[in-house]
Amino acid sequence: MNTCEKVRMQLGLLLYGELSFDEEETVDAHLESCAECRAALERERELHAAFDAQEIEPPASVLWESRQNLQRQIAAEHSPSPRVSWWDQFLDARWLRSAGALALLSIGFFGARMFPSLGLGITGMSMVDPGAQRVRSVEPGPNGGIQIVLDETRQRVVSGGLDDQNIRVLLLSAAKDPSDPGLRYETVGILNDRAQAAEVRDTLIYALEHDENAGVRLKAMDGLRPFVKQPEVRKALSGVLLSDGNPGMRTQAIDLLTQGVGESTNPALGRDIIGTLQELMNRENNAYVRQRGERVLQLVNASQETY
Amino acid sequence: MNRGAASLAQKAGFQTDEKALIRAAQEGDQDAFGQLVRAYDQSVLRLAMNLLRSPEDAQDVYQEAFLRVYRNLNHFRFDCSFHTWLYRIVTNLCLDQMRKRKVRKEESSQMEGSEGPVDRMDTFQESRPEGDPQRSMFIGQLRERIQKAMAELTARERMVFELRHYQGLKLRNIGEILGTTEEAAKNCLFRATQKMRVALGDFV
Repeated sequence: MNTCEKVRMQLGLLLYGELSFDEEETVDAHLESCAECRAALERERELHAAFDAQEIEPPASVLWESRQNLQRQIAAEHSPSPRVSWWDQFLDARWLRSAGALALLSIGFFGARMFPSLGLGITGMSMVDPGAQRVRSVEPGPNGGIQIVLDETRQRVVSGGLDDQNIRVLLLSAAKDPSDPGLRYETVGILNDRAQAAEVRDTLIYALEHDENAGVRLKAMDGLRPFVKQPEVRKALSGVLLSDGNPGMRTQAIDLLTQGVGESTNPALGRDIIGTLQELMNRENNAYVRQRGERVLQLVNASQETY
Repeated sequence: MNRGAASLAQKAGFQTDEKALIRAAQEGDQDAFGQLVRAYDQSVLRLAMNLLRSPEDAQDVYQEAFLRVYRNLNHFRFDCSFHTWLYRIVTNLCLDQMRKRKVRKEESSQMEGSEGPVDRMDTFQESRPEGDPQRSMFIGQLRERIQKAMAELTARERMVFELRHYQGLKLRNIGEILGTTEEAAKNCLFRATQKMRVALGDFV
């Protein structure tokens, strides 16, 4: 094996920084004098860059779900007794349990922060008062005293069903809280069970169009699934198809907008949806999404793109 | 303090904190255990998802790995780093899963499309729809070729490549995780990259 062959076998390890000091010295010295091996090093770099592009970053929603499941399993293992609690017996329906849990654990903070006067109107309310405080300003007062202005945030626990208007108002606000995607995800999941109400549907459409977290957007899309025939929902889904950065979202949007196409009870596909799909074909670069769009256009005998 | 020294100090600080967290978790502190999970779980999920190319299987590995950590944390005696111990568990679970798949000849992430097989995991790669169809076609073909080449690697070659290239672990650490020598890990990585280079031909 000549020197060039030996060096080329080590180029990969050189890029990974896995050669010994002496090996790296030998390779570097050879590269200085050999143009062909330098070109081979460039090709090795391109190969590494191509590998880099393959990496998949797990979506936030998958990580979130995994953490939730782990927490549940550990809580189950940790639980000293398998007996069913009064809470489980009482709140049998799953959505109601989630709603109750969220109301008890999470919403109290919003209740105090955004609707300080709301508490009186909420039934079954209890108070938890850790007394969070922040000094807003400090001034010397009369007679050597000090005047301190405090901002106070009180945590308050509220509970109630989804039919309770106060609870619903809190949930609609929590669904838009920019600081906590986990809270938005849970809240949208709960609101999905009440999407027949116009105000809830509007919030889900807002989340679908504007939430920066793909997991929350996907959850909102789930809630809108039964209302796909409504014009405002179709419009929002068309927007997702053409502008959402997440290919998984675009795939789901195609599926929703074209439900039932190709089945025996073949519903007609509106011209607006066909136009949106053709527009998508003009710009889509994800192979899987393209394939889904193409399949639908073939089924309705429409051309693949607009020209 | 120069950057290297600062980074070493930071690392040493993290290791001290981590030891304290592990000890607290061993004494039943749930918050400490939660912090340990959050320190590593994103990397664990990424490793499993890239190796198994199925979000469901990756989530199963995630659950099982951290449950095993939870159940066996009391037996952890600091003979190696927590990271190495955790990754031994995760890589074993992934290798088992990959070998089972080889036996079943299953390719879970592939779906049949109008232009041939399409990888379902493409949907997890962020990309905005845009013009230049030639470029996007080239990228799609390259991706397909690399995935095919990776699928041809043995489970151990795939694992070593993943840990070195994507997780950025040193070969010595990879050897420690997989219960082999640094030299054996190096040979494995070399075989993996050679095979992929051949499979990609003049594509790159």
